[in-house]
Amino acid sequence: MSERMRESLSALMDDEANELELERVLTQIGDSDDLRRSWHRYNVARAAIAGHQLGHLNVDISAQVRQALVAEGAQQPAFGNGASLRQRLLRPVASLAVAASVAATVVIGGQQLAQLGGGSSPGGRAVASSASPVGMVNSFGATSVQASYGSQAVPVLQPATRTAYRELARQRMQKYMQEHAEHAALNTPQGLIPFARVPEIRE
Amino acid sequence: MHVYRKSASRVSGLSILARLHWRRRIAAASLALTLIPVTVAQVCPGADPAALAWLEKMSSSVHKVSYNGVVTLQRGEDMQVMQVSHAVAQGVSSEQLTQLTGQGAQIDRVAHPLACVHPGHRLLQVSEDLRAGHCGIAQYYRFSLADGERVAGRQAVRILVEPRDMYRFGYIMELDKETALLLKTQTLGRGNSVLEKFQFANLAYTGHSPEGAQVNLVHHASHPLPGAPTLAGHSAGPWTVNWVPRGFVPTDSAGSMADRRTYTDGLAVFSVFLEELTQEIRPGEGLIRSGGTTSYTRGMDLAGQPVLVTVIGEVPVNTARMVADSVARVR
Repeated sequence: MSERMRESLSALMDDEANELELERVLTQIGDSDDLRRSWHRYNVARAAIAGHQLGHLNVDISAQVRQALVAEGAQQPAFGNGASLRQRLLRPVASLAVAASVAATVVIGGQQLAQLGGGSSPGGRAVASSASPVGMVNSFGATSVQASYGSQAVPVLQPATRTAYRELARQRMQKYMQEHAEHAALNTPQGLIPFARVPEIRE
Repeated sequence: MHVYRKSASRVSGLSILARLHWRRRIAAASLALTLIPVTVAQVCPGADPAALAWLEKMSSSVHKVSYNGVVTLQRGEDMQVMQVSHAVAQGVSSEQLTQLTGQGAQIDRVAHPLACVHPGHRLLQVSEDLRAGHCGIAQYYRFSLADGERVAGRQAVRILVEPRDMYRFGYIMELDKETALLLKTQTLGRGNSVLEKFQFANLAYTGHSPEGAQVNLVHHASHPLPGAPTLAGHSAGPWTVNWVPRGFVPTDSAGSMADRRTYTDGLAVFSVFLEELTQEIRPGEGLIRSGGTTSYTRGMDLAGQPVLVTVIGEVPVNTARMVADSVARVR
């Protein structure tokens, strides 16, 4: 591996690579065992620095990175002008943790279950399933996600269904929080404090 | 990290880079890696014995000290203030929490035998684990000590608690330097953002709260039977949770027909609830977050039975989601 390539690879790890360097790495990483090994080794080293365990790193991510980048580019051609390269690289990976993290503010009335019934009202119909990203392997953070779990397809929801589900989640939180707090109060160091998280204490 | 950095500058002493880059850190880590098998790997990597000792002291302090004080709990914009008291006498403890803001509810637990140690606290008694050659909770979090600040007029020792995987939050805990009582906890999410902050505003080491707060409602905390700290038996019954992050154990011996399962790793707790629905449900998911609490609800089909699975707890969304994913029917 040339010194230049090594530099490009390091720069990529540092989030300092330019388009040219990224291009250089990506075009060669498929053909160069040496380059792939280095990439792997750098990630191991980085994981060690970050204090992660090293058992899960036998993953060659180069193909995934390329695919993810290609997919990213195809979906959002404009994306990337402002964002750093590493952000772009990490995006598909990072999304596994935040995929479900939609903010929850809208509050609507009851009847969510009825709305979510199995019928096929045009506005609330679940559209084509896409596999949940939870099953991806997070090679960058050097922690592995058990791919056998979290790989169930979660449908992409229409807005009406999504709103109904959010409200359902809010109601469930109201309903179950106290029972959860009973256990948290006995099994965490803060004593009765978990009860302060309950939206409304019931006798 | 510090050590690595120092050796890094030695290794690449000629480097003209002003900032530390991965290039240098990698060089250092390659050196460090060769040392790991001989030294750290044999014990618990990254485990600071002093920090673990404080953790254990903290866990047992609730069996030793009586105190009362005012506590605040901040979650985002919201701040609650409450009066807490804890009295230890004649082999039992009694606790009380009175909300001074909001609903004005009071929660109490009386005559809790000191001999009754729940799984979450047992997990913090890490010295037994270490003696037996296990790392216990140190496998799932990295604990380190730092100088604490003053909290509620008491000098504190700080424990930094860093998760070793993506399934739990981090914490900064401040313990009373004399009694090891937990005075303050900050729950840290992604990017070290503070999700929740609990702390004493004032504290006195006597067991009884001053009277005077108006109480609108009293709830007597329940006492579920502590479960055996193993995963065995939790798969009994009509449904099962097939996956929880490493280190989480059931908190109680929930009956096999129960519609709830709860798990703890000693610092975090989450509960899984299952509802069988009488009609079909369009599959989907909904999420509410409040401070460090995640409430995730998934509508799905379990072997022909439509169900709602809800995971509530002080864990990241991805944890809740994966746990919900793993719920299955037992035939």
